[in-house]
Amino acid sequence: MVSPVTVVLDPTDESRPAARTVGPRPDDLAGRTVGLLDIAKPRGDVFLDRLADLLTERGATVRRYAKPTFTKPMPTDLRAEITAQCDVVIEALAD
Amino acid sequence: MHDLAALEADGVTATFVASSEFVTATDAQARALGFASVPAVYVAHPIQDRTDPEMAALADEALPRVLAAVTGASPAG
Amino acid sequence: MRPVTTTATTAASTGVEPPADGLVVVVKQDCPTCQLVAPVLGELVDRGATVYSQDDPAFPPGVEVRDDTALDASVALGIDVVPTLLRREGGRETARAEGWDRATWRELSGVADLGADLPDWKPGCGSRTHDPAVADAMLVRARGHELTARRVELAGLEDEAEALYDRGWTDGLPVVAPTPPRVLRMLAGTTRAPDEVVAVVPPNLVPATVEKVAINAVLAGCRPEYLPVVLAAVEAVCAEEFNAHGLLATTWGAAPAVLVHGPVARRIGVNSGGNALGQGTRANSTIGRAVQLVIRNVGGGRPGEVDRATLGQPGKVGLCFAEDEESSPWEPLSVGRGVPAGTSAVTVFATEGPRGVVDQISRTPESLARSLAVALRGVGHPKLAPGFDAMLVLSPEHVAVFAEAGWDRARFTAALAELLLLPPEELARGADGIEEGVPEPTRPRPKFRPDGLLVAVAGGGAGKFSAVLGGWVGGPGGSSPVTRVIEEA
Repeated sequence: MVSPVTVVLDPTDESRPAARTVGPRPDDLAGRTVGLLDIAKPRGDVFLDRLADLLTERGATVRRYAKPTFTKPMPTDLRAEITAQCDVVIEALAD
Repeated sequence: MHDLAALEADGVTATFVASSEFVTATDAQARALGFASVPAVYVAHPIQDRTDPEMAALADEALPRVLAAVTGASPAG
Repeated sequence: MRPVTTTATTAASTGVEPPADGLVVVVKQDCPTCQLVAPVLGELVDRGATVYSQDDPAFPPGVEVRDDTALDASVALGIDVVPTLLRREGGRETARAEGWDRATWRELSGVADLGADLPDWKPGCGSRTHDPAVADAMLVRARGHELTARRVELAGLEDEAEALYDRGWTDGLPVVAPTPPRVLRMLAGTTRAPDEVVAVVPPNLVPATVEKVAINAVLAGCRPEYLPVVLAAVEAVCAEEFNAHGLLATTWGAAPAVLVHGPVARRIGVNSGGNALGQGTRANSTIGRAVQLVIRNVGGGRPGEVDRATLGQPGKVGLCFAEDEESSPWEPLSVGRGVPAGTSAVTVFATEGPRGVVDQISRTPESLARSLAVALRGVGHPKLAPGFDAMLVLSPEHVAVFAEAGWDRARFTAALAELLLLPPEELARGADGIEEGVPEPTRPRPKFRPDGLLVAVAGGGAGKFSAVLGGWVGGPGGSSPVTRVIEEA
């Protein structure tokens, strides 16, 4: 986890923030495809079942995905599948 | 956290839900991945011994914050 | 080029003052000669000498030693070899002995029987200040204050290449991380000050300093000796008449290319021979790329944003080559553009990239000129004239046909101009069943505006093939090639 930090010099005009940021958010989820990504920890599925109902009530199209293991980042093919199909992803539930 | 970074890099709006035990670890990992902050949602620990109704209640309680993490909505609303 | 120096700093700047008067010895434990002289150091300390150890503050044992593991004193004293014995008087060095030389050490220290048990002489070891493992840190300590660009920390879990890509700093290929030591080494390629403004870079019209250009040159993979060429090319690309903003914003796919003139090309290894327009030569591959990265990163010219190219072309990653002035029978292109012979320069021009022209049969200049003219007519569209500029790269076997017949550059270009004076009936809209064309032309029209066709000689010795590099709209409504002398080259 702790590895040395590399310092680099900014090659740009420095008008954008140096830190990574998440992308812009949609105004609401109505009409959007929301992927629920189960990280495969016990009880997470129950939480996501309920979340799926709540999001569907709010007009979202819910799709379900599951990681083979919570111990690793998702496989490339799963990432590609989710990216192709979803506007929004909610990953749960880490404990 | 890696999944969130990957999906956001692909242009997908992403969040994750974790138990409150993960706050410190998530912050550290977010910083280690170059993010100043990430839109994570935390629910009360522990999770794995909860009953189904308790898990559903947890989801009900988390919903406003989940929506806030992936939309422009306010977590209070 | 100025040498990268890590010793040209003063004691004051490091905050460590060696004693103004008296003897100073600098040693390191990891040096057999220093271990050899260890027995005499105690005696020197007793007489007021100051001993600095570069690597182990407990060396030599039993002697009062100052810790110089940070190397501040060694840098301040300009130590190249250990052991070094110095005499200082009034803050200045008055005598120095490097390595062990008994006679000199006795003379310097005034101790007549110093080191009686030691050999007469043993050479020293390299100072730790020259250890490659600490060289970067030394360089940053000595010159890091010259760098003013924002420092960005790549966090521990970020893969370096991925992190640079994610920040949008690359053209899609991996880049070299512009760490402070690398940028300082790059800056050693020029005598220009890091904060000097090179040009105001389109499309966002952002002033680019020498430092910013150097950072992008590191990203691109340049060596420090390429930097003067990159600086001249950036200046040329940002010139008003080159119109880099228009070139970027047009849906046409042309991009700036860099032609290098003069002795700098050979010195830094810009390829003008076989595969000059291709891959495999670091200078060719990285100089053009550095220019494009400056436009992208400093100027903000990114594909899909200001860059509106319909198709683009692979030369947009960067295209750079040199004219083969040594083998060419003709006066260099640069001389015709006002650069004194023997002077290094760059010409930037808008280009789509090369298309080969085959003529393996012509033995007369007349026939070969006609072949080349037919190929050049296709630039943009065979029925549009004038309009787009172009670059013709003549191969050695082709230029030899002209030279052997006594044609010089001027006669060749005049012949091409005559052959490319196109009849109106061929250009008219609808002619040849093609709706594209010139609206109602009444007289013959030149394919290229005056100075709209550049001709350079390059390529491998075998192959009766030349290349046409179609350009973009020439002149005030588009882009004009720009030539700049390379400073300090």
